[in-house]
Amino acid sequence: MTLAPDAVARPTIPELIDEATVEAIAGEAWVALVGEDEVLVPLPADLPAETLSAWVDVVGPWTGSVVLTTGRQTAADLTRALLGQAAPELLDHEDVADAFGEIANVVGGNVKAALPGPSTLGLPQVGEAPDVRNPADVCRLEVLWRGQPLVVSVQGALPALSTPHPNPPHPNGASL
Amino acid sequence: MTLTATSFDWVRQLVHRESAIVLAPGKEYLVEARLLPIARSMGLPDVGRLVDSVRTRPSPESTRRIVEALTTNETSWFRDGDPFTALTSTVLPSLVSARGPAERLQIWSAACSSGQEPYTIAMLLEDALPNAATRVAITATDLSREMVERTRAGRFSQLEVNRGLPAPMLVRHFTRAGTEWEVSPSLRRMVTASECNLAAPLPRMGPFDVVYLRNVLIYFDLPTKQAILRRVRALMRPDGWLFLGAAETTLGVDDSWERVVIGRSSAYRPLKGN
Amino acid sequence: MRALVIDDSRAMRRIVSAALEGFGYETRQAGHGQEALDVLQEGYVPDLCTIDWNMPVMDGLQFVSAVRANPAWRALTLMMVTSESEQGQIVRALAAGAHEYVIKPFTADALRDKLALLGMLPEEAVL
Repeated sequence: MTLAPDAVARPTIPELIDEATVEAIAGEAWVALVGEDEVLVPLPADLPAETLSAWVDVVGPWTGSVVLTTGRQTAADLTRALLGQAAPELLDHEDVADAFGEIANVVGGNVKAALPGPSTLGLPQVGEAPDVRNPADVCRLEVLWRGQPLVVSVQGALPALSTPHPNPPHPNGASL
Repeated sequence: MTLTATSFDWVRQLVHRESAIVLAPGKEYLVEARLLPIARSMGLPDVGRLVDSVRTRPSPESTRRIVEALTTNETSWFRDGDPFTALTSTVLPSLVSARGPAERLQIWSAACSSGQEPYTIAMLLEDALPNAATRVAITATDLSREMVERTRAGRFSQLEVNRGLPAPMLVRHFTRAGTEWEVSPSLRRMVTASECNLAAPLPRMGPFDVVYLRNVLIYFDLPTKQAILRRVRALMRPDGWLFLGAAETTLGVDDSWERVVIGRSSAYRPLKGN
Repeated sequence: MRALVIDDSRAMRRIVSAALEGFGYETRQAGHGQEALDVLQEGYVPDLCTIDWNMPVMDGLQFVSAVRANPAWRALTLMMVTSESEQGQIVRALAAGAHEYVIKPFTADALRDKLALLGMLPEEAVL
């Protein structure tokens, strides 16, 4: 892969946003969407084995994804809380994907607005979280909702920049 | 949970009496969540102690804080829009023609909370009056130091700007600052915020052309209401305008005011010779 | 009064519809801008559209422009309800012809306040 000449100036997410900001954004989303007494407690805990992620991609001066990850049961509980009385007796995967994806959309849209713009926001996706490409380009918030762990990860989509090299290898000399 | 059944019941009755809003049983968590910040700001460890303290030593200010915390999520910008419509339709044109071009209009927002009311007034004036920043001074006061500091900062959360602030005004008068929205420097220059206890002798201020004293009097007993209205009147110009809350009036409280109907709202003006 | 709720999330359509019905609105729903245009073209012309921005097929901004291009729909009130909250984007939506803009997350009270500003609150819902 060839890096654009200006790629070295690309900011990483810890330079643009901190955990407290992500926590404030997620907290407002929870109070408004999930319920007015639904608080997120900023305490770390291990995620269960069976998890589900919902995320939106942000493309702009900073490019990456805003990813929410939690246990499958917690994602279902979130869906019920969001739908309230309109929740069906039996939730199917579509219900959970739709509701959890919408929460990711709301958190992601507000994270995007707190970053340098303009940027575009992708449609929500649900499944297995995208890989972390560059550990230095991640802002990770761990919280408990109703005692269950949930992670909000704002992570860059681009690979780590190689350390600046005085004599960069010739573009045609890439190894196989 | 620090709230006993008796305390919860006392809070329910208080809120019902003051606002006619019914807190259903099971809303204990709501009372806990909304009142904890008030308890903390008074140096009390929990909501149970707050209720005990207010029950043994009733204070209109604490009562107001409790009722407001439980009845409104966030203060709206054009809360009961009519007193603001009256400002631009009637009050401002009459004051502008009565005052000289060099005279600064003085407006007082007398229970400004986190600043929505004074900045609403500032936005309306900036949109209606050329060089508003040099022609108008808005004094914003509140009993709470925290509220005065919030008003000074002029920063509002996403949820706060969502409450009744027209989108064209949001993008015209605010800029995004991280997750918050910050009022423009020109609006902030128009507003001076300070602490002020309406139930005690007032500091030297004014004289005011317009006073917004909304949803404050309802929390006080009759003699205190009379004293507040008398003190406010002493700080007003003889041809000034007073706006009260929709459920408040000077009628039967202090007869030195004349009620004037403006559209769907009412204003009160000092009667001459009193 | 009648409202068309346009959002690609079913959960969000239910939340917005429930709030509007609480204020006395009769509601219909559409999952994206094109589906909403189809509803209008069928002859269902509501008083209010609430419009998400990021949707498949046709996004909210394209929908606003399409509605504004048709004089037959001039009386429609268009209110964006979206997590898209960059200042520049709000300006774009208003320039395209949206009347109001509600940022997600929002509470039912926030919707009610905005409708009150627009004079779009059925009388019985005025507090």
